[in-house]
Amino acid sequence: MCLRSSSYTSPKPCKHLADCKLRHAFDGYDSLQNCLKTTPIGRTRVDNHNTKIPRCNFCNGYLGRLYICLMCSSISCSTHILLHTQSKSGHDVAIDIERSELYCCLCCDQVYDPDFDKVVVSEQIKGSCPGRSNKRRRLDSGMELDLKKSKRLIAMRDGRAKSCYPLGLRGLNNLGNTCFMNSVLQALLHAPPLRNYFLSDHHNRDECKRRYGEKLCLLCEIGALVSAMFSGDRSPYSPAQFLYSWWQHSSNLASYEEQDAHEFFISVLDGIHEKESKVRNSSKDDGDCQCIAHRAFSGSLRSDVTCTICGFTSTTYDPCVDVSLNLDTVNLSAAEKTGLSTLSGCLNLFTRAERLGSDSKLHCQNCQELRDTSKQLSISRLPLVLCLHIKRFEHSLIRKTSRKIDQYLQFPFALDMTPYLSSSIVRSRFGNRIFAFECENSDSSAEYEIFAVIAHSGMLESGHYVTYLHVNHQWYKCDDAWICEVDEGIVRASQCYMLFYVQKLLYYKANKDLSCNASVESR
Amino acid sequence: MSRPPPPPPTTNKDQQHQNPSLQEINIKLIQSGEKERLKELLRERLLECGWIDEMKALCRAFTRKKGRNNVTVDDLVHVISPKGRASVPNSVKAELLQRIRAFLASTAD
Repeated sequence: MCLRSSSYTSPKPCKHLADCKLRHAFDGYDSLQNCLKTTPIGRTRVDNHNTKIPRCNFCNGYLGRLYICLMCSSISCSTHILLHTQSKSGHDVAIDIERSELYCCLCCDQVYDPDFDKVVVSEQIKGSCPGRSNKRRRLDSGMELDLKKSKRLIAMRDGRAKSCYPLGLRGLNNLGNTCFMNSVLQALLHAPPLRNYFLSDHHNRDECKRRYGEKLCLLCEIGALVSAMFSGDRSPYSPAQFLYSWWQHSSNLASYEEQDAHEFFISVLDGIHEKESKVRNSSKDDGDCQCIAHRAFSGSLRSDVTCTICGFTSTTYDPCVDVSLNLDTVNLSAAEKTGLSTLSGCLNLFTRAERLGSDSKLHCQNCQELRDTSKQLSISRLPLVLCLHIKRFEHSLIRKTSRKIDQYLQFPFALDMTPYLSSSIVRSRFGNRIFAFECENSDSSAEYEIFAVIAHSGMLESGHYVTYLHVNHQWYKCDDAWICEVDEGIVRASQCYMLFYVQKLLYYKANKDLSCNASVESR
Repeated sequence: MSRPPPPPPTTNKDQQHQNPSLQEINIKLIQSGEKERLKELLRERLLECGWIDEMKALCRAFTRKKGRNNVTVDDLVHVISPKGRASVPNSVKAELLQRIRAFLASTAD
């Protein structure tokens, strides 16, 4: 499970390439521009416009890797390229014809030059003009967390703490198959942005009642819940009032049957957003919405649909509050670990370019015809809190059955989302290049730390949800009313259903604040 | 890799047409653009079955052993080529052979 390094440092040119550039400046690259040809899937090859196929000058071979000399355009195969360098002084650098990559014959290795890559990439872009949305959506990183206020609230209640567990840990009674609700609430209430928002009393319940009367308000209910959780009282709490309010909001889900935790999660965020947009009387789209649910969880997905014939790509952006992943059961690498599903495998699957079937051809603007297309997803903007949902419940409409996929999924505690960003995915289409992608999101970090895991055990109809929370460097299991310390091994071995990560900077800040003011008797 | 000896050359023109040389086939594939399409198909299949991930893992292991600055592209190609060739799934080989046969049949003179 090897994650790509997030620091994209440009390799230095070798001595021979540097000399070559000094002597000839960009002579070699200028003539190259007319000889590049990009295939629809994005590979650029050197095309001499000859009708003859390229062959090695020495052996007349046309198989394997062929190189074209930067200086004299003579073609040699990998076996004989050294002969060419030896026969002509100064002819040290060549281009791999099939891949448009620089090769130093003396170093026998690929070498890199940003100027060369610029020529290649601009040629590739010329062919396909992605429909770019020019709205640079910036995350409101200046979120008013008002931690000072929340610190005070915690400190006040400290005296009543009965146990040595950190503040905020409190069991939730099961009110009749409500473990789906309890598990999600535990995760939500410990998401740093949400927890701080409610602890800082940003949604003042008295004021809300004054303005809107006794009408149901999910925000008030969550606020009440947070207060109860952080009150210092360790006896299990019954979230009956919250359940009742939520039933009124999502009447279609109101019953004593077991529900899907993910569905509940979405409906809670929706409830928060609804109230917020009523308050502000605005109908902003999800991407710019400033309600606490969206400020914490909202990100943006980019979808690129490419015509396989002409390479024309159309790009769309969609806001999202979580990412639902299919398990990577199909594409398991035998060399790494037999039969192990990993989170990075799922994310790779999610961002893989997928050929849409011939029965779902789409209209290409360029070709003006129905064409086979390839679709690729990537994340264009990361949220503060990243919720990853593992699709374990399969519903088949044809067979009218549902089943649960029990496959174990390995997940990391520290997650680097860089390889799944649009900048990385789009960059990889151009091959092995040093190329600065235009909308590089350098302001927001792509490094995350896990803080909650919702695990499901049992079967589809009769299963059970529990939440593992990571607070102050210790893992806790929240099983309805019972909270206990657990070893991290237990968490890693659990059957994860929803994973909650928070941006690293926020995580360390949040933990620091909690631990500073936690009760004195904590371990 | 040992191949059976090529059939003796015949003066019969018809027979020569029936058995085009490997070279002729290759040139036909390249000039028509079919080779490029076949390569694309091959890349897709090898990605789907995990072969590409396997090769990446081999490269990583080799690089770790020798040290990042002591490895060249040539080294990697030499190291993984034999293993790579040997581990292409038979189903992939069969599919491509079928495609090539179909192409040749459709363009036979």
